[in-house]
This record gives sequence, structure tokens and C-alpha cells, in this order.
Amino acid sequence: MARVAMTRNPLVAAAIVLTVAATGAAGWGGVSRYQAGHDSSAAYAQTRDDVLAAGEQAVQNMNTLDHAQLDKGLDSWEDSTTGDLHQQLVDGRDGFVKQIQEAKTVSTAKVLAGSVTELDDRAGKAGVMVALRVTVTAPKGKPAVKESRMLGQLTRTPDGWKLSALGQAPVGNTAG
Amino acid sequence: MSTTRHLVNRQRRLATVAAADRAATPAPARPRTGGGPGPEKPSEAAGEAAEDTPNDEEADAEGEPDGGKAPARHLPRPTLPVILCVLTVLLGSFAAWAFTSAASLRDDPSRQNTALTDISRTSEVKGQITEAVGAVFSYDYASPTKAETAVTRYLTGKAVQQHADMLAEVRAQAPKQKLVLTTTVTDSGVEMLDGDRARLLIYADQRNTRTGKSEETTYAAAMFSVDAVRKGGTWRISSIDTFTR
Repeated sequence: MARVAMTRNPLVAAAIVLTVAATGAAGWGGVSRYQAGHDSSAAYAQTRDDVLAAGEQAVQNMNTLDHAQLDKGLDSWEDSTTGDLHQQLVDGRDGFVKQIQEAKTVSTAKVLAGSVTELDDRAGKAGVMVALRVTVTAPKGKPAVKESRMLGQLTRTPDGWKLSALGQAPVGNTAG
Repeated sequence: MSTTRHLVNRQRRLATVAAADRAATPAPARPRTGGGPGPEKPSEAAGEAAEDTPNDEEADAEGEPDGGKAPARHLPRPTLPVILCVLTVLLGSFAAWAFTSAASLRDDPSRQNTALTDISRTSEVKGQITEAVGAVFSYDYASPTKAETAVTRYLTGKAVQQHADMLAEVRAQAPKQKLVLTTTVTDSGVEMLDGDRARLLIYADQRNTRTGKSEETTYAAAMFSVDAVRKGGTWRISSIDTFTR
């Protein structure tokens, strides 16, 4: 009875209406926020972008090497890779060091464009295309600039996505 | 020194007395307040009852209702609106946060880009642009009209002029050298897909056959990005980026 009497107060009535409206808005907002936060295609899109970022960075690392900082460069190669590719790099490291120390080259790479071509987020496998511009500077002569069409496979590891295969897109045998 | 000790002792004694006093004062206060809440709730009822049947049993029996009635009837009045206001503000701010947060999540560039997440659109744009690139970057000296048709069918906007510039040399030399240019897309990937707009990275092989004096075939590797727009169910190339510096 007291409550009924109180609601006759227009201020209280208005406050109740506002509270009810706020409750409704909060409920709606909560549902909307939950749906936005638990959208499976959004999670997939996020993974795709993570894969692309990791892939572009790894491919760039693999095309960057300074003979003056060989250990740093080759460590970054090994950090960017996993599986067989990683093992090949580890096994071939000594020979490669000798080769680069003799050639004294500095390679830098710039990513022009990149795209994820396939992504299986359950299996943790992905394919990327990365268009690169690589500049190789030898002690003598002009720097050589070439464009590289890289195709990479990435595998999810506990430390993030890493390259498990990398190569140039083949030329010449598919046309026609 | 002894004075100090004396002072300290005195202060201690005073402190205990004060503490005893403090302990003593709430003691009688408690029954008072203890008696308060007890009848306070009933006194609400009593208050109501009092409105209808003034000064009945409880009101008389307590002797306190005049004092109890006033706070009992006045306290809820400010508290209910206050509670409502606090609730409104809290719920309102939660709603505001939830909507803004949901909107910012939805506006996230990752989500705007539906490359791969929208499987059918992704394969649709890949298929059509692969076909378009193959058609517009192929040229047969024997049937130049075919190339013209391809241009009107697959290109739009800026891409028309870009394409004309790119193929100008081929067009000029084609009849003389009996040139056949065939472009095949070997790899394509969707960089961005947002509704009716897309950007793709294309790797293509170009086979250039000159059948003029002596037959000669050269292969070239090409890579470029294209912007595509969808009009009337068909994707067309709107711009070509060959990554030139």
C-alpha cells in the first residue's frame, strides 16, 4: 500500500520508468555485446589476420640477411620457421654462413602485398601469398632489385604461426 | 624521566577509562536501537494502519510511534528514488558500454574484411577475377576484337586506361610480329573483401609467342594486385596495381 502510494509521486514513477528502460537497454546491450564477442566468423577473421601478419613477417625475415649480422639474421630465420623447413635451415646453417661471408651481400625485403589463400584453423595450417621486393647489395656494383612471388605454408605452433614451407611461385610451365 | 613514565601511565589510565566509557555508552544505546528496528518494520504497517485506524494497539503500546513513525515513513521516500537513480545510472552505463563495445567489435577491420570468412563470395570473386585477368591480358593479333570485348566486359573505371597503357606496345607490335600473348593466373588470393569491393593479389604467367619471321616463345612472371567491384552480380576489375615505385 505504501508502494502504491509512493508511485503516485510523479518523480518516483518517472524513475521507475527510467529504471525499467535502463534494464531493458542493459539486457539488449548485453546480448548484443555477447553476440559480437562470440561470433565464430569474427574469430576466424582474426586468425586470418594473425596468419597474414605472421606470414608476411616470416617471409620478409627469410629474405633479409646482412653478412655483417649473420647470426642475428639466421636466428630470425630459424625463429620464423618450424618443421622440415626449420630443420633444413639448422642443418644448412654452417655452409650458408661460409657462403654469405664470402659473398658479403646484404639483402633487404619489402612486402608489397600479401594474402591468405587457405586457412584451416582447426588443423592449424594455412597458405599465404606474399609479393616481395628484394634488394641485394653486393660489395661491388649496383644493388640488384628483384620482385619475388612467394608462396608459403604456415603451421600453428605454441609460439604462434610459423613457416613450414616457402618457395617461389613457379614460372613458365602453366601458361597455355 | 619519571615524569615521562608518570605521564604515560596517566595517559594509559585515562585511555582505559575512556574506553570503558565508550564501551558503556553504546551498551545502553543498543537496546534502544535494538528496540528500534524491531518495531520499525511493524511500525511501517503501524503507520499504514495508523492512516486508516488512527492510534490503535501498537501505536499506543509502543509509546514511540511518533518518533518511529516519522523516520519509517520518511526514510523510504528518498531511498526508493535514490535506488532507482543508482540502478538507472548503473544499468544505463552498462548498456552504453555494451553497445559501444559491440559496435567497436563489429567495426573491427578484421571483421569488415570477409575474405575467406565468406567462402562463397571469396570463391566467386577469385573465380571471376581469374577469368577476367586471363581475358584482358591475352591478345591475339588475329582477333583484336576479342580483346576489345574482354575490356568492356571485365574492366571498369580507372582500370580501362591502365590496361590500355599496359597493352599499348603489344597492340602496336602484334600485327607485325604476329604476336599472341596468353596470360594464365597461377595463384590468386583475396586480400580484402567488403561487400561489393575486393582486392586480390594475382600471380600470373604470361606466354608471349611471336610467329613472325621465326617462332619464338618467351615466358614472363607477373604479380600485381587488382581492385574489383561487383555490379549486377559480376565482378569487374576497377584498378590495377603493379607495385611500381
